Amino acid sequence: MRAYDGIISVQMTSLWPRLEPLLPRVEKPARYIGCEDGANANIYKPDATSWLLTYPDTYEIGLPNQGLQILYELLNERPDAFAERSYAPWTDMEAQMRAADVPLFSVDTHRPANEFDIIAFNLSAELVYTNVLNCIDLAGVPVRAAERSDTDPLVGAGGHCAYNPEPLADFVDFFVMGDGEEVIADITTEVEEWRQSGKPKGSRESVLHALARIPGVYVPSMYDVTYDDRELVAVTPRHNDIPANISKRTIADLADWPYPRNQLVPLTEVVHDRLNVEIFRGCTRGCRFCQAGMITRPVRERPASQVREMISAGLERTGYDEVSLTSLSTADFSGIEDVVADTIDDPGTCGRVSVSLPSLRVDAFTVGVAAQVSKARRTGLTFAPEAGSWRMRQIINKLITEEDLYEAVRSAYSQGWHRVKLYFLTGLPSEMDDDTLAIADLAENCVQIGLEYTKKASVTVSLGGFVPKPHTPFQWFGQNQPEELRRKVDLLRNRVRKNKRVHLKWHSPEASTAEGITSRGDRRIGRVIEHVWRKGGTFQEWSEHFNLELWQDAMDASDLDIEWYVHRHRDENEVLPWDHIHAGLHKDFLWQDWQDALAGYGIEDCRWTPCYDCGACTEYGIEHVVASPAPPNGGSQGTGQDLATGHVVPVQLRPRAEVGGTQ
Amino acid sequence: MRLRIRFSKLGKVRFVGHRDVARIMERSLRRCGIPVTYSEVFSPRLRMSFGLALPTCYESEAEYLDVPLNPELVQDETVFCTGWGQGEAYGPTELQQALNEALPHGFDVVALTIEPRTKGSLQEAVLSCGWSFDIVGAQSDDVQDAIDTALESSVIEVERKKKNEVVREDVRYGIHELRLDGESERGPMVIAELSAKPRVIRPSELIEALAPGAELGIAKRTHQWIETDGQRIEPLTLSNSTTT
Repeated sequence: MRAYDGIISVQMTSLWPRLEPLLPRVEKPARYIGCEDGANANIYKPDATSWLLTYPDTYEIGLPNQGLQILYELLNERPDAFAERSYAPWTDMEAQMRAADVPLFSVDTHRPANEFDIIAFNLSAELVYTNVLNCIDLAGVPVRAAERSDTDPLVGAGGHCAYNPEPLADFVDFFVMGDGEEVIADITTEVEEWRQSGKPKGSRESVLHALARIPGVYVPSMYDVTYDDRELVAVTPRHNDIPANISKRTIADLADWPYPRNQLVPLTEVVHDRLNVEIFRGCTRGCRFCQAGMITRPVRERPASQVREMISAGLERTGYDEVSLTSLSTADFSGIEDVVADTIDDPGTCGRVSVSLPSLRVDAFTVGVAAQVSKARRTGLTFAPEAGSWRMRQIINKLITEEDLYEAVRSAYSQGWHRVKLYFLTGLPSEMDDDTLAIADLAENCVQIGLEYTKKASVTVSLGGFVPKPHTPFQWFGQNQPEELRRKVDLLRNRVRKNKRVHLKWHSPEASTAEGITSRGDRRIGRVIEHVWRKGGTFQEWSEHFNLELWQDAMDASDLDIEWYVHRHRDENEVLPWDHIHAGLHKDFLWQDWQDALAGYGIEDCRWTPCYDCGACTEYGIEHVVASPAPPNGGSQGTGQDLATGHVVPVQLRPRAEVGGTQ
Repeated sequence: MRLRIRFSKLGKVRFVGHRDVARIMERSLRRCGIPVTYSEVFSPRLRMSFGLALPTCYESEAEYLDVPLNPELVQDETVFCTGWGQGEAYGPTELQQALNEALPHGFDVVALTIEPRTKGSLQEAVLSCGWSFDIVGAQSDDVQDAIDTALESSVIEVERKKKNEVVREDVRYGIHELRLDGESERGPMVIAELSAKPRVIRPSELIEALAPGAELGIAKRTHQWIETDGQRIEPLTLSNSTTT
């Protein structure tokens, strides 16, 4: 085979000759070369709408993103579009680029970002927002949407954080809500017209207006925000032909979308460096802290036969020796044990392929699954009880019992694991010190179980500070102060200090504050994000770059109050900054669920029980796509189990608390 | 039995580091279903051993990889594949072709043999490497003069980072060949043979002596030399090659 360089199409500007001399001066230069297996070197189409799909974090974090890879493939299959990819350059590379006047580029053909019609960002976490601004700036495009000229690329954004678009409203031309598979076609069509018109004066306003009429697309510049002093009053459309409420897009059946067909195989190591097969989308477990579980409803399972095909074809094509079955709660997949067993027994794998099951629910991790998974290489095992006490788990609606956890942990140790990782949140609503300390009890009991099987038994406890998210029942909750989170971390540290087999790791409470500012912020927070970025605050997800002072200074400079944005409880009648965005869930359903939480009532998974009318299915005329009529092994979210005290009395079905009584 | 592979690494993939190259090779071997062997430990790894590691950013026409094969699945020079290659029986030519199809652009198997395993690792056996490189920001005449001066003197001092300190070291002993070889679009081209014992001398170390203040352009390894029965040879020469 010839070297990759020779294949690049000649019709476009390639920055490669200017980039190449910079690469020996930076860390991990392979981040910037592209050349992945599955990437298309002849990507360019002369008369097509061009998308630059950009992940605003490092290549290693961004490359595996499945959403971005799905859109990359779908767009490149279209005759009227093509897509390339870009990632945030690390700080050393950014310095080199700025010094050499090299703009943001695509890794596929190293074309400058501002030659694309659309620069589209994936928003997976709030702390990347300053990187979004930095990427726009590096592209040579004005950071503020209002300052862009007619010919500048359109800046788009999608992904989970887009469900509260307001903090980025000043910088992003259009947002996409929900599944991207179908809406990209509508956007391509509108942008094509704009592109073919030659983008004359005034055309930017028209194309944005056209985009705003596409279901699931939000163009913030077409909406006015009104305030009464501090209080948000309304977000209202400026035209009568665009919707007052923007509803998310949802694909009905995952079976119609077996993507990515050609998962990208990077030449340099990335996170999740393995074959990833999405086995279902959506989750109805109803964990109240979990934004992903709320906004991606309903559950849509991929048929098991298609999962098998995608695994087998994917492993053969990539040569990976690990496959991850991705979803929000993988063990809930109907017939998960069969799929795992079939993968491991596939003659093509020679018994050397390991299966990793992220988002593992402890109530479905059985000895059977453990034994299957451990046949090849043992991957890390993480369980997420999320809270230490049963009382707390009822409040967050993570209805797994202590016994479930111990059985899962026993399964793991008995099948040869030495260490398991447990994930917990702290700073949850109505949390008391006993609840926090119960985490230590759980961890120590797990170690005791492990010691029955191995002298090396240990448990890693990973503790995250809870940040309330939009479109969840906890969206009204006032986040803990960083001092309070720090105190809880210390409480736990002191409690487990003497136990050498329990390793405690925690997420920075200060970073949780910054996340809180951006997570539930309104349009005024845009000034804060811009201020932090202008002071050099990029890569805020990275502890070596995170700096809370930057955020505090920015809030002060904008005359905004952290207490009001982050730590204050909201009441039922408050207009929330994302009220005009509809993720399918009725606001009164969420409020009722918040009241149930405060009253300590859990609710069951609606896949196998009557509908609560949360809105996700009924609003869209679609239903859950679930292969099995019965809940998976080990019960599911309380179905058929005695749960009220953790193991004795059955959970009550939809016992509604008095509305408004507990705030 | 084992597979001995000589491969090239050219173009953009020169920026891929050594550990990543190992992973790329592993995936390609698995895609072909070559009957490799695994270490028998808690977390088994595919057995393979490279020649000398190539510094990141360098190109090469002479990288080597030895892969022990499951002896039960090799007969004469035919390899019987398993896994994703189940049912295939490859001679060296077909195997080279299959690997090239599995490898990413920029990597190319240029020679391959199926041969009995020998003692000792390739990494330890390599005595010197051939290099060609260009220098950015230098004039050919100046470089020619610097080469002449360097070869006439008995000491060539270079600066080298060693953990936390910068040390100065004489490398004259390790320069077996050094000559100007025309110009590339970036600057003067140099051909060199540099010792790999007791340590590998890299072209980048010579820039200071050849063109103070200039920068290394693109360096390419052209040979790795070993000695067998007193003869200086390459582990695999390109004449064995079945490349197209």
